[in-house]
Amino acid sequence: MRTRVALVALGLLGGLYGAFLLLSRQALADWVEVAVWFAAGVVLHDFVLAPLVLLLGAALMRVVPVVARPAVVVGLVVLGTVTLLAIPVLGGFGVKADNPTLFDRSYVGGWAVLAGLVAAGVVAATVARGSRRHGAAEGTAGGARPRR
Amino acid sequence: MTTLLPREESFTSRLRSPAVAARVGLWLGISFGVCFLTGLISHYAQNVSHPVAFPTSPAWGYRVTQGLHVLTGYASVPLLLVKLWSVFPKLFARPPHDARLLALHAAERASIGVLVAAAIFQLASGLANAAQWYPWTSFSFRSTHYAVAWVAIGALVVHIAVKLPVIRAALGADLDDEGQDRPGADRAGALSRRGLLRTTWLSAGVAVLATAGASVPLLRKVSVFGVNSGDGPGGIPVNKTARAARVTATATSASYTMTVTYGDREVVLTRADLEALTQRTETLPIACVEGWSASGAWTGPRFRDVLDLVDAPLDRDVRVTSLQESGPFRATTLQAGFVDDDRTLLALGLDGEPLALDHGYPCRLIAPNRPGVLQTKWVARLEVL
Repeated sequence: MRTRVALVALGLLGGLYGAFLLLSRQALADWVEVAVWFAAGVVLHDFVLAPLVLLLGAALMRVVPVVARPAVVVGLVVLGTVTLLAIPVLGGFGVKADNPTLFDRSYVGGWAVLAGLVAAGVVAATVARGSRRHGAAEGTAGGARPRR
Repeated sequence: MTTLLPREESFTSRLRSPAVAARVGLWLGISFGVCFLTGLISHYAQNVSHPVAFPTSPAWGYRVTQGLHVLTGYASVPLLLVKLWSVFPKLFARPPHDARLLALHAAERASIGVLVAAAIFQLASGLANAAQWYPWTSFSFRSTHYAVAWVAIGALVVHIAVKLPVIRAALGADLDDEGQDRPGADRAGALSRRGLLRTTWLSAGVAVLATAGASVPLLRKVSVFGVNSGDGPGGIPVNKTARAARVTATATSASYTMTVTYGDREVVLTRADLEALTQRTETLPIACVEGWSASGAWTGPRFRDVLDLVDAPLDRDVRVTSLQESGPFRATTLQAGFVDDDRTLLALGLDGEPLALDHGYPCRLIAPNRPGVLQTKWVARLEVL
């Protein structure tokens, strides 16, 4: 318990130092913008991205055959998270006409290669899983797979 | 469903469990920790005054710490997303009725809100900055990213303290142990818990591989989202061009000179004067604060040899000013340790060729173990402080 209290105190100290830096070194307009970013990040995750993932998951359960589900989920998690972090380069927002040495590759092309590799992996894993199961009769209809 | 808003119990997947959250959280915590510490190093390196001298060796030190900073940031994106997914039902937990418990509940919710907001802010602003995208209009990236880092790490430490018993129990038990699961969260998903964890590590690994090429030469062809592929004059990319810095005319002018001052001593040097000094070649990296880096063989007089022309004593800081007429890094302070290091050059050439205009022709500073943004290009003036 003493460890936990000490950690809480330490964390509060660090956080308050950060808040002090924010408030003391910036003008009002700056930290209003920071506050907007803070709120926007939470709203975009909790009320846009997370519900979208829920909907996508529900849709997958309807259309993807049971045998392919694990591989499809793995593929979508990998591709989805990595695509999200690549948005700044995919959008080409930092490209400058006078500087050909930065952002000097086709990012959309690179994304297509990554997506192709992921898709190939999903197909390969699904085929392998299907042949391991020796074509056990699996339905394509909705509903959760029973626990093994 | 009776109301539009789901309840904690609406989420029944057994993957959204403390067993998964604690394990993903452990690696997210390590990743954030490394990112925080390397960030502190970078911030300190960019400070004008160094009460504790910043080391000049190893020359590749900043290249490694800043590369790690950016890569742990990239790796944290999948880790954070899966972590938030695993605890998402908690968002809909209804507050307790008891007043004392309610206060505790509110305090914990507030600390988590700050943690999530700060974590998302750090990753989003860092990703944008690494891609030279500045979608903010008012705040300064460096000071805000630094301040919010303290907020994020502080909130993280509080969160770990609050959850310590849950974390301990989860990490001490089998991954499939259900002792700490929410009631009703027992529906099997498409993946096992083991499968979800492996998917998370795989995503973090792909995130690193897809971006690391900008700092790890071996991965240049692999990293489809790297901010550059290592090409540029002399094999080194350019962050800011002469045109963007508006120095094309002054840097290529026949009347270019560099002034060196110490007290009332002053010498004015042309590029030919600099070429007439003893030339050295040093292999030193340019390591950008945005995370990319590349190593080059730079040639030019030792920085120290140039200061000897005005009989400057050892152990003095030097103000280095560029031909640039504006910009936050027009003038930088080169601390005494770097000034007196034998490897610090006023480079006139790169890779056996005269320096390219975009690399700082006629003359640029290159010192070991230093953020690239401080390796001043188009040097016009050295002032011994």
